[in-house]
Order: sequence, then C-alpha cells, then structure tokens
Amino acid sequence: MSIEDASGQGVTITQTGERGAFGGELLTVNFGPHHPSTHGVLRLIVDLDGEQVKRVKPVIGYLHTGIEKQMEALRWQQGVVCTDRHDYLSPPINNLAYALAVERLMGVEVPPRAQALRVIMCELTRLSSHLVWLGTSGIELGAMSVLMYCFRERDTIMDMNEEISGFRMHTSYIRPGGVMADATPRFFDMLAKFVREMPRHIDEYEDLLTMNPIWRSRTIGIGRLAPEVAKVVGASGPMIRGSGIAWDLRKVMPYSGYENYDFEVATNDGCDCYARYLVRIQEMREAVKILGQALDRLPDGPVNVDDRKMLPPPREELETSMEAVIHHFKLFTEGYSVPPGDVYVAVESGRGENGCYIVSDGTHKPRRVKFRSASFVNLQALERMALNHMIADLVAIIGTADTVLGDVDR
Amino acid sequence: MIAEELITDKGVSAGDEWITVPAPRLREAMAALKEDGYRLLVFLTCVDHLADASKEWPARFELLYEVRDMEKLRDLRVRAFVDGEPPEIDSVHDLFPPANWDERETYDLFGVVFSGHPELTRILMPDDWVGYPLRRDYPVGGEPVEFSEEHETWLTPPPEA
Repeated sequence: MSIEDASGQGVTITQTGERGAFGGELLTVNFGPHHPSTHGVLRLIVDLDGEQVKRVKPVIGYLHTGIEKQMEALRWQQGVVCTDRHDYLSPPINNLAYALAVERLMGVEVPPRAQALRVIMCELTRLSSHLVWLGTSGIELGAMSVLMYCFRERDTIMDMNEEISGFRMHTSYIRPGGVMADATPRFFDMLAKFVREMPRHIDEYEDLLTMNPIWRSRTIGIGRLAPEVAKVVGASGPMIRGSGIAWDLRKVMPYSGYENYDFEVATNDGCDCYARYLVRIQEMREAVKILGQALDRLPDGPVNVDDRKMLPPPREELETSMEAVIHHFKLFTEGYSVPPGDVYVAVESGRGENGCYIVSDGTHKPRRVKFRSASFVNLQALERMALNHMIADLVAIIGTADTVLGDVDR
Repeated sequence: MIAEELITDKGVSAGDEWITVPAPRLREAMAALKEDGYRLLVFLTCVDHLADASKEWPARFELLYEVRDMEKLRDLRVRAFVDGEPPEIDSVHDLFPPANWDERETYDLFGVVFSGHPELTRILMPDDWVGYPLRRDYPVGGEPVEFSEEHETWLTPPPEA
C-alpha cells in the first residue's frame, strides 16, 4: 500500500526502497491524524530508518474551520466569539489580541480596572492551558497520574470562568471596549483561595515529574532546538525560552498594563524537552505571582469605555433616555464601524506569540482578520527537532511543542 | 539599508509603521530589510480589496509581510500590490524560513502564486478543493455539507465557486 491511498486511519507503512544506515530499508509510516499522541488531528508522514526518524512531513488542515472567512461575515462585536474558538485552550488571550486590535483602530483606551481584569483572565488561562499540556504530555510519556492532579486544578479555573462569565471554556469575556461585566465578590474569594493554594499544587506536579528518572530519561537531550535555529524558524513562547532566549511579549512589548507587574521571564538553557517542561512549570509559578499582584492592587472604577457608539448603554438608561434607545438599536442592528486602516497586535499566549491582524474598510464588518498563531509557526520546527531521534521520542517532541491543532488550522 | 527607490509609499497605521514596495522587486527589498536587522518574519498574508471603497487601491490583492527586529524591538509592515489571474509574486521562503507555510496558506486561501516556492500545494483545504475561500467573491456557505442530501448534487463544485 502506498502513502497516497492511506485514508489516515491508523498507521500505514510503505517501503521506500531507499537504503538506511543499518542495512535495512527506509520505511514511510503514516502517523495520525487520529492518534492519541498528536494533540488533536495532526498527521505526520515519517520516514524511518529502523526506529530512527529521518524525515517528518506534517500534514495539517484536518481542523480547518474557516474562522477568518467567518469573521468577515460578522460584525465587529460578534467576531469575539470566533476568536475564542481557534486556540481553544486559551480563549481570553485570543479575545485580548482581537480586542486590543479593534481598540487601537478605534483609538480608545480601556479603564484600569478592565485592564487588570483582563490580566487576571489571561493568567488564569495561561495556567489552565499549561495544566492541560502537563497532564496530556505526562500521559503520553507514561506518567498517568499527573493528569488527575492537573485537571483537578484546571476544574477550579473552569469554575472561576463560569463565575465571571457564565461559560466554562469559551468565555468571550474580553471584548472590544472592555470586558463583559465586572467580576463578582465570589470570584475574588475563589481567586484568593486559588492564589493561596496553587503554589503547593505546582510543588506536587514537580514532585511527580522533575526528579522522576523515567520522565528525565524520556525528555533530557530529546528534541534539541538550538537558540540560533529557534530564532530563524520564528519559534516563540516556551519553545524559544526553552532555548535560552528571554523573549516574552509581556516584557518586551508590554500590553494591557503588564509593565506594572513584577515577574520574571522563565528561561532555560537546556534547549530540549526537559527545558521546555521546566520553563512551563516556572511560568505557572510566575502566573500565580501576577494573579496575586493583580488581586492586591485591583483598581476601582468602570470596566468598559464610556462610549455609547461602541458599547450599549446601561439597562436603566433605556427607560428614561430616547438617545440611549437609539444607540442601543443602532448597535444591535448595524453595529459600529471602525475607521479604515490596519493594525497588528501580538500577545503572549501559553504557546507563544498569538497575534491578530485586522483590516478595516470603514464599514461595520472587518475586511480581513488574520490570526498569527504560535502553533502554526512552532510546528514548522518539528522536523529540525525530531531528526535522528527514535520514533517514541517524536511523541515527547510533539508534546512539548504544545501545538493546538485548532490554532494551527484555524 | 533599503534603497530609497524601492519605497514607493510609507506611513503609519494605528501606530504600526509600513512601507510599500513594487511587487516585482519584493525579494530585493526583503533581502535589504533582513540585512538591516529585520531578521524575523512574524507573518505573511494577503488582503483582497475587491470592491473596497475606503480608498483608491493600486491592485486587487495586497500582500503583507510583517518583519521584526528582535534586537531593536521594532516592527515593519511591507506591502506589495499584485493583480492578474493568477496573481504572482516571488517567494521569500529561503530568506525567511517561516514564510514557507505562510506562502502555502496564502496560495491555498487566495490563489496567489509564489514563484520559486519548493512545494506550493494546498495546506489547509483538501488537495482537490476548487476555488480560493478567502477571496471576497467566494461565498460563505458555498461548500457542500458532506453526507447530506444536497451532497450528491454538489459533488462537482459550481463553476462560479
């Protein structure tokens, strides 16, 4: 059977006729797209010499949902729900990129309390995204129990999402012009308890993995990505920081008030899977630190811009003011229009630089919305990392690259 | 330094600096920018200006290259306008490795041909797809729903898609 008639079900093997270094023949193996270790529906065509990986060709597009096309048919404020759904592990961070882009074209600045609430939501999301990564990567390398611990804390974060926005996953909490609504007192109680307890839980994950001999032998020295290569392939997020380059958009190009928080950029010089693991663990600790600071000095005030042309008036005004009714009607029938121009805003998600590039032609719908996704770019480095490793290590490398296929395919 | 005659227009859009270069000399301009320190291609994409009344556009397709200087922390957007069917421009995949998949994506969704690209095939859509979905004249909802009643009649795509 040749690779062309492989339907993508299970594993297909083709003999290439090429000679390998050990006297055998090179085999082409189809890996995925429905393989549990591929984090969704990634398909790889791998050329093997014995068990050694000689070529890797990722085949993507199985989760392409046409989100960019969809957004051209939606009004500016409706597009927020689409941004939730491409990188489905970090919805508020994608909301933020889109909201910041629209706000920059509109020339508005959100109040300080909204900025702080945005930071809180983004850091919670970073934690929950890293927890999914840690749990699933653990399972892939045989550490079954980590997932239970990770999902216990992730569920706490989901509960907080539910409390603040009504949704557990696709919150659409951060919107152009501010946030959906102010947080409830119960949310702050939950958050305070979470900030108090989370460092101890991170210690638990480290107890399970950091000095675990199996985990170390499966990750140390595996999937090397040299710093100069990481720069050339455009890697971002824990991929580039795991190669020793302190590149974090929250530090180098601060947005949404990140310059006011005191946190370290987690880096590690190991350049391998273990380094990327340590970077993510350190990032989780820093995220808890940022959450604590945000909670301590949360400013009072409004959570939305005071602009009736962009956001609906408060409910009570509708009963007394004709103008409020007109604004309300205009917003929910036509929507607002954004001045012509284009802008690119990049934010640091759990996976790296997730940016949003929008073009407005002055109407109430975007002309073009483009998501620059970190997973899409990081995945291109896969072949360089996996070369000459065993096929079993490929699973570890895909795992620590932490690609979300919804984000790759959009 | 990028030569003055390569820049046909420049400006600032919502805080982002941009320049326009003539499409046939794009490679030359990108190589000069790379020398200048803009060593990272953040993303590359295309905008379809079909029936865009917001201003006078030189051509239908606008190609955008966002490049970044990681030392001096500055971004620059390079614009190039192309027309024709298929619209064609030089590939920059050898200057900027991340461009490889981005160019395939732009070819896939807009039908822009990048000459010199080693493997210009569809990347997100199925290989046998007809049409370029992100063009403005491609309708939303213009694809058949598989395994549905209408699928039989949709097996051959409509000529206008």
